Amino acid sequence: MSQANEGMPPEVHKEREFMPIKVHVHLTHRRFTNGQEVVAVEGRTVGECLNHLISQFPKMEKALFTKKDKLHNNVEIYLNHTSAHPNELAKPVKDGDEIHLIIMLAGG
Amino acid sequence: MLTPDENERYDRQILIEEIGREGQEKLKKSRIAIAGAGGLGSPAAFYLTAAGIGRIRLIDCDRISLSNLNRQILHWEGDIGAKKVDSASMKLRKLNRLVEIEPIDEVITEANVSRLMEGVDAIVDAMDNLATRHLLNRCAIEKKIPFFHGAVRGFEGRAMTILPGQSACLRCLYRGPIPEEKFPVIGVTPAVIGAILATETIKYLLGIGQLLTNRLLMYDGLEAIFTEFKVNRNPECDHCGGIIL
Repeated sequence: MSQANEGMPPEVHKEREFMPIKVHVHLTHRRFTNGQEVVAVEGRTVGECLNHLISQFPKMEKALFTKKDKLHNNVEIYLNHTSAHPNELAKPVKDGDEIHLIIMLAGG
Repeated sequence: MLTPDENERYDRQILIEEIGREGQEKLKKSRIAIAGAGGLGSPAAFYLTAAGIGRIRLIDCDRISLSNLNRQILHWEGDIGAKKVDSASMKLRKLNRLVEIEPIDEVITEANVSRLMEGVDAIVDAMDNLATRHLLNRCAIEKKIPFFHGAVRGFEGRAMTILPGQSACLRCLYRGPIPEEKFPVIGVTPAVIGAILATETIKYLLGIGQLLTNRLLMYDGLEAIFTEFKVNRNPECDHCGGIIL
C-alpha cells in the first residue's frame, strides 16, 4: 500500500476508473451531432477536447470556429459550470470534467 | 409611511416575512429604470409596478407593430402604431396609479445614456441587442448602479445580476460583437426571464435573498430546466477591470 492510500476506504484502493470528459452540446448545434446532447471526448485542454469533438462530428467546426483557434463571438464555454473565458481553449481539463457549449443570447 | 390604501393593496406581500411594512416602504421610496418596453420589459414593468416601486423610468424608442404582440404583453391590438412608452405607461398607470411612471421615447446612445440613467437605484436591462446592453453595463458601472441583465432567444433565456465593483459584469463575458438578427422567440420565454429580472430587482432594493451575482442563470424552456454557471470577474475587463468598491 502506498503512503498516499493509507487510511482510505478499501474501494479507493482498486485501480481508478476512467471517467470521460463530457461535452454538453447546445440545442442549436445538436443537428451537427446527430441529436446527441452529450459527447464523450479526450484531451488535455478545452481546445483539444473540442478538436476531438470535431473529429467525431466535423460539422461542429464551422459551428464553433470562424477560423483555426478562433471561436465565434457568440460561443461561450463553461468548464465544470464555471466560465472558461478568457483563453478558453487553453484551459486544462482532467478526466470527469464537463464542458458546456453555450450560445450567447441577446434578444429581448 | 404607507397609506391605508397602500396597506390594503400590498397586504399579501407585506405578509411575506422578508418584506413587511418596512420593506414595502423601501419599495415605495425606490426609483428604477427599465431599458426596453418589449418582450422582457413588459413582464418586468408589470410586476415591478404591481409590487409598488415608487418611480419607474421606462425607456424605449420603438412603435408597436403587429409582430410584437406574441410577447410584448404591455401592448395590445388597438395600440399598433403607437409609441411603446405611451402604450406601456397607460397600462401601468391603470394597473397601479400609485406608481409614478416616467416614459422616455429616446434611443439609448453613448451620448445620452448617462442622463437617462441619472438618479435611479437600479437599471433593468430589457433590451433586444447586445450593443445597447453594453452601453448600459458601462454606464451602470461608472455610476455604481446595480444592473439586472436578461436576454432571450427561442425557448431559452438567461439572467445575471451585476453589482458594480463587486461582481462580474456583462462585459466580463464579452468576446466581441455578434451579428444582429431577427431573433426567434415565443412570449413565455421573456415572461419567465422578465419575472426573474423583477424578482432580482425587488430583492436588491429590499436587501434580501441571494442575488444572481457571479451566477449566470440559464433557462431552457424546452427541457424545463434551469442551469447555473459561475462567472468570475475578468481583471482585463474594459468596463469593470480594476474597479473595487
